[in-house]
Amino acid sequence: MNNNDDIVANNKTFAAGQKKFISRAALLSVLLFFGVLIFLGAVTFFSEKESFSENANKYLADFPKITWENYFDGTVTSGIEDYVADHFAWHDSWVRAKSTIELALGRREQNGVYILKNRIVKRAEEADETILQKNLDGIRSFSEALDAPVYLMLVPTSVEIYSDELPKNAPNLDQRAFMDRVKDDLGDSVEFLDVYSAMMSQRDNYIYYRTDHHWTTLGAYTAYSAVGRKMGYEPLDETAFDIEHTEGAFNGTFYSKVLYEGIESDSIDLWHLPQSENDLTVEVYTSVDSEPEIYDSIYFRDYLSVKDKYSVFLGSNQPIVTINTGYIGGKLLIIKDSYANSYVPLLLSHYSEIMLIDLRYIQLPLDSVIDTEDYDSVLILYNVSGFSTDENLKKLGMAG
Amino acid sequence: MVFSELTFLYYFLPIVMVIYFFLPTKGRNILIFITGLIFYAWGEPFYVFIMLLSTAIDYTAGRLMDRWDDDNSKRKKCLLVSVCMNVGLLAIFKYSDFITDNINALIGSDITNPVLSLNKLLNDLFDFGLNEKQVDLPIGISFFTFQSMSYTIDLYLKKIKVQKSFINFASYVSLFPQIVAGPIVRYSEVADELEERTVNLSKINCGVSMFVRGLSKKILLANNIGMIWTEIKAMDYSQISASVAWLGILAFTFQIYYDFSGYSDMAIGLGKMLGFDFPKNFDHPYISQSISEFWRRWHITMGSWFKSYVYIPLGGSRCSALKTYRNLIIVWALTGLWHGASWNFVLWGLYFGVLVIIERIGWGKILEKLPSPARIIYTFVLVVFGWVLFDTDTIGDAASYFAAMFGAGNGAAANSGYALYVISQNIPLIAACVLLAGGLGSRLIDYCSRKYPKGAAAVSVPLKTAALLICTCYLADAAYNPFMYFRF
Repeated sequence: MNNNDDIVANNKTFAAGQKKFISRAALLSVLLFFGVLIFLGAVTFFSEKESFSENANKYLADFPKITWENYFDGTVTSGIEDYVADHFAWHDSWVRAKSTIELALGRREQNGVYILKNRIVKRAEEADETILQKNLDGIRSFSEALDAPVYLMLVPTSVEIYSDELPKNAPNLDQRAFMDRVKDDLGDSVEFLDVYSAMMSQRDNYIYYRTDHHWTTLGAYTAYSAVGRKMGYEPLDETAFDIEHTEGAFNGTFYSKVLYEGIESDSIDLWHLPQSENDLTVEVYTSVDSEPEIYDSIYFRDYLSVKDKYSVFLGSNQPIVTINTGYIGGKLLIIKDSYANSYVPLLLSHYSEIMLIDLRYIQLPLDSVIDTEDYDSVLILYNVSGFSTDENLKKLGMAG
Repeated sequence: MVFSELTFLYYFLPIVMVIYFFLPTKGRNILIFITGLIFYAWGEPFYVFIMLLSTAIDYTAGRLMDRWDDDNSKRKKCLLVSVCMNVGLLAIFKYSDFITDNINALIGSDITNPVLSLNKLLNDLFDFGLNEKQVDLPIGISFFTFQSMSYTIDLYLKKIKVQKSFINFASYVSLFPQIVAGPIVRYSEVADELEERTVNLSKINCGVSMFVRGLSKKILLANNIGMIWTEIKAMDYSQISASVAWLGILAFTFQIYYDFSGYSDMAIGLGKMLGFDFPKNFDHPYISQSISEFWRRWHITMGSWFKSYVYIPLGGSRCSALKTYRNLIIVWALTGLWHGASWNFVLWGLYFGVLVIIERIGWGKILEKLPSPARIIYTFVLVVFGWVLFDTDTIGDAASYFAAMFGAGNGAAANSGYALYVISQNIPLIAACVLLAGGLGSRLIDYCSRKYPKGAAAVSVPLKTAALLICTCYLADAAYNPFMYFRF
């Protein structure tokens, strides 16, 4: 009898203890849930707000103006949502944690880039057939209207050179085939500078940044040496340059996509010609109709202390840049994307004047901006990924 | 406003809950009403007034029905006003473009949707800035109109008592957890709770668990698997191989389930935190053993709404066989149309209507003799076919997608190599999607909390917190986070 009572009593205390434990766990879980929400909400609310994000390379949202008009067209609420998203506490750490988790789960493709063992690369997209045709027509008619030789250099991007490291079957543009196709299509109308095999043969060297979409100066030099004779200059030997290793880790645009820390940061090398910068002037036109800003160096060293370090080469992309090199030689016109910015420093000693045109920032027909007949040769320099998705080369075919 | 968004999660939710918790019981419905308006106005600064107006009309119709308690013809008129208004709102905002387009296509006319003409007039007069190209759909309109009708119809049928307090009725309509994406909570289900409800620790904890579960379904499963479908959906269907087509639609199959049921879980969880018990909306639909069963497990509150307010009033199955089939076809065509104003949705609804009738006629009996894995596969495959109709943009697209699933595509844009690649990148995600849809997760939770109640309670605490933090990682990155019910 007594024994039984004990068991019942024991069971009762056991049940009571269990109930107490479970309700304590419930309290803890509710407090943690709302604690996290209130804490992160408050930190976001009270923290000092940045106005610019270097990693995202954009200005962050301001708190919207609250008026009836803004309320009715929805800009108050969407503005608040953008504001919270942009200024959320420890924003970059959350993104970094996400890419680390995804990588641990086996996903190498994130936010449009592939995280490989030693580098991050970006998938090159298939060209839109109609836009590509218009671009090629533009190049063709531009070239045919000119007496000067027109060279086209398409630089494969890192995803092509290291495509063997991609996950199996990863969708990716076949850049070799794409280059051949462009070459065939343009035929004799341009002189095609093929740097594919040169880049491929240097793939064990540091020719592409690990965290950025550009080539390194060594990569540019590889192309520079490979095409020199074809373009009519004798390439300088590597030893002719003073190579400056700049300080400071460079984390490029691919890094910014995933903020993943597992890839070694890059560093930027500047290749100087010993006596080049004596008489050199650089005229930068920030818009086609503005007065130029004059500089005495092709390197904009201020950029070495910010995140966007690649802009040390000729500053950020500008519609028109003219370089008077101080050397004796012909005049070269370069129609280009940003790959050319680190390529130009190598060319200085071969030309007296180099003009760079970035069609993305020019809305007028080219011949209303410059006299193309003025140049002894023209180089169209793009990376394959930029070229295949470009929508501006067709402007070459437009007459003013 | 939507739940899976930083502003809701980190500001709206904690602020509302803390105020709610410390407010005396009397003030709580007022808070629910005000927060519901803010929540709705957040995304619909203009249409919130339409919601308010319809709430006022339904409330008044209810009060009048109550006053004329013994005059049936007057009561009937009140009901008619309410139903016409709600159906009218749907007709104007959801279906007027569709109707006009079809009339124009049918008789070759060039009529402008009168609603658009009205928009233009209002713009000219008051500079409202309304859309003159197409009628913008007020978010959640299909949910709140159906909920309001459940009140006036049930009141007419004297199944429920009148709600005398405007605040109580308005807080039911604008109850923010369920206003934009369901579940369709009937008035009768929460009538008592609107007057009096308890909020206690175990209920709040239960709500937190449901909410975190729903949030994880939406952010971690639906959004991630949905990226696969988004990429494949945008391809040229004549250039994808059969494996890619199957992968794409299977990805959507899981996306829509985890997105929708995740939303319902979040709504039910939020309801619990406020002291409400909302009905279950999804019950592992993908392990159903027949199409009829699937619809008893998928979007349960919508199915039962149509059953109570359309199917049964039409006579249901208590009439001749032919009439029953007619009723079924009507219900399923409406069910399809409810999901959006497009022939794809109508066809999708009729497709299920026909399948349900075939199962009724006798196929269901044969089906029961098959082993259950075969029955599950049969149901699942037919449901997957249905999703092709549901999520392609036109009937033509649906046809070419079906063709691709049976090997008509040439694989130039994406072939089996692509399919293998996508699978290899998403193995843990796919495994989680399949196993959880199969019920493994909920069985595990049930088993553990029965067998080791203390252990389960202890483990759930860090698990929930971790899930919330991981969801925050994805929300902060904000790469892909669609709201899928903008056409409902």
